[in-house]
Amino acid sequence: MNPATRTEQLFDAFVTLADTLVAGYDVLDLMQSLVDICHTLLDVDSAGILLANAEGGLEVVASTSEANTLVEVMQLDANAGPCLECFRTREIVSVPDIDVDSDRWSEFAATASAQDIHSVYAIPLRLRETTIGTLNLMRAERGELNHHDVRAAQALADVATIGILQERAIRGAVTVRDQLQDALSSRIIIEQAKGVVAETANLSMDDAFSLIRQHARSNQTTLKEVARQLVAGDLRF
Amino acid sequence: MALDPFTVATDSLSEAGGSVSELARPFLRFLPVSGASVSTFGTLLGAETVSATDALAGRVDELQFDLGEGPCWDALATRRPILEPDFAARPNIGWPAFTEALRSERIGSLFAFPLLFGPLEIGAVDLYSVSPVSLTTKQQDQTTALSAIVSRLLLSRAIQQVDAGESETPFSRRLIHQATGMVIAQAEVSADDAYLLIQARAFAESRPMQEVARDLVDRRFRFSTEPTALGETP
Repeated sequence: MNPATRTEQLFDAFVTLADTLVAGYDVLDLMQSLVDICHTLLDVDSAGILLANAEGGLEVVASTSEANTLVEVMQLDANAGPCLECFRTREIVSVPDIDVDSDRWSEFAATASAQDIHSVYAIPLRLRETTIGTLNLMRAERGELNHHDVRAAQALADVATIGILQERAIRGAVTVRDQLQDALSSRIIIEQAKGVVAETANLSMDDAFSLIRQHARSNQTTLKEVARQLVAGDLRF
Repeated sequence: MALDPFTVATDSLSEAGGSVSELARPFLRFLPVSGASVSTFGTLLGAETVSATDALAGRVDELQFDLGEGPCWDALATRRPILEPDFAARPNIGWPAFTEALRSERIGSLFAFPLLFGPLEIGAVDLYSVSPVSLTTKQQDQTTALSAIVSRLLLSRAIQQVDAGESETPFSRRLIHQATGMVIAQAEVSADDAYLLIQARAFAESRPMQEVARDLVDRRFRFSTEPTALGETP
């Protein structure tokens, strides 16, 4: 990718994030934009975001594929893997080859390998003293992620984190924790909506999610609102 | 404006909360009957009279359990109400021992309504009247509607009594939510009822809920729309 194109794309990415941050946005939609931008812009094959839940554990809130296989890999990572380490140390954790030293997190390493994921980068979503979650970048290729991509990813993660803070101010959520819990809770209705669409349109969970997103975009509404209508039976695909 | 007796009955059921011993009384509020009893039996729950408004109502239930025949058995087996408005004069020939046992009692009419939740058998409601009466179509529909609420309460209670003890992870919860969505579309029910259906299936099969959810998501089985829709109010 030539430098000019790359700069333009990064610029567009920040504009997209900024657009998502205007009034009426939803944390979940912001997270979804962030993983999609990472997927498009960076040299990675998949990306996901985990947020800290009320119990102090990490939960997948957005990912580039809604196939349960990828989500499962990330959730294992959250129990014992680079993303948990990143969350705890609040530093970027780079694992250029997950098969090396895989004993540290054997279950995660085995499942990731089986999904053709061989290198992982976990970037903290940091907010002053608090780390609210992690951005996870995954690649089939082994080796370090180039430093431009690492810097871009950290910058995107920072903007998204600031966005979450800002939304808290708008909604008057009591604590960051409440607000994150709210984002995670909206995953419930989105999973249910995926199930509804998977059943009525006979689609995979991933394709069902794409359809929900498309509908939210073309109607300029949030994922959560579309999901609510689907679950209530007010909308059918 | 006076409240509709049926509304009063449904309200009092909701207020009963966890107290199953009060489940039978609301039927007396809008039906011209003398007594009612609610019992669980069938493939899912143990045979038990959970609520009876008087001693005779309880005896009608017990006799049926002891003898293995009677309206409540037929109601659950056919998934339809069994109506015997003229029980005293023209007893049902299908229940000779039951009829004989009640010969000395003053029972003019007998009715039994099945307690169902989707495809699941929960039990039955038995109703008796001293003097012969008939139930109007509207009264039958309302009894069916109230029975659906009772079924849901009994099923929830049974499931709650079993120690959950499942090691739930965020990932297994995801699967359960996706499966709930599929059941919403399959059985045309609310999210709460879809969840309860999955929970009840897991309960009936003594399997973790996440396993049942996985089967649903992988399309190894499905809930079809049952003729007896859940909690349908006429």
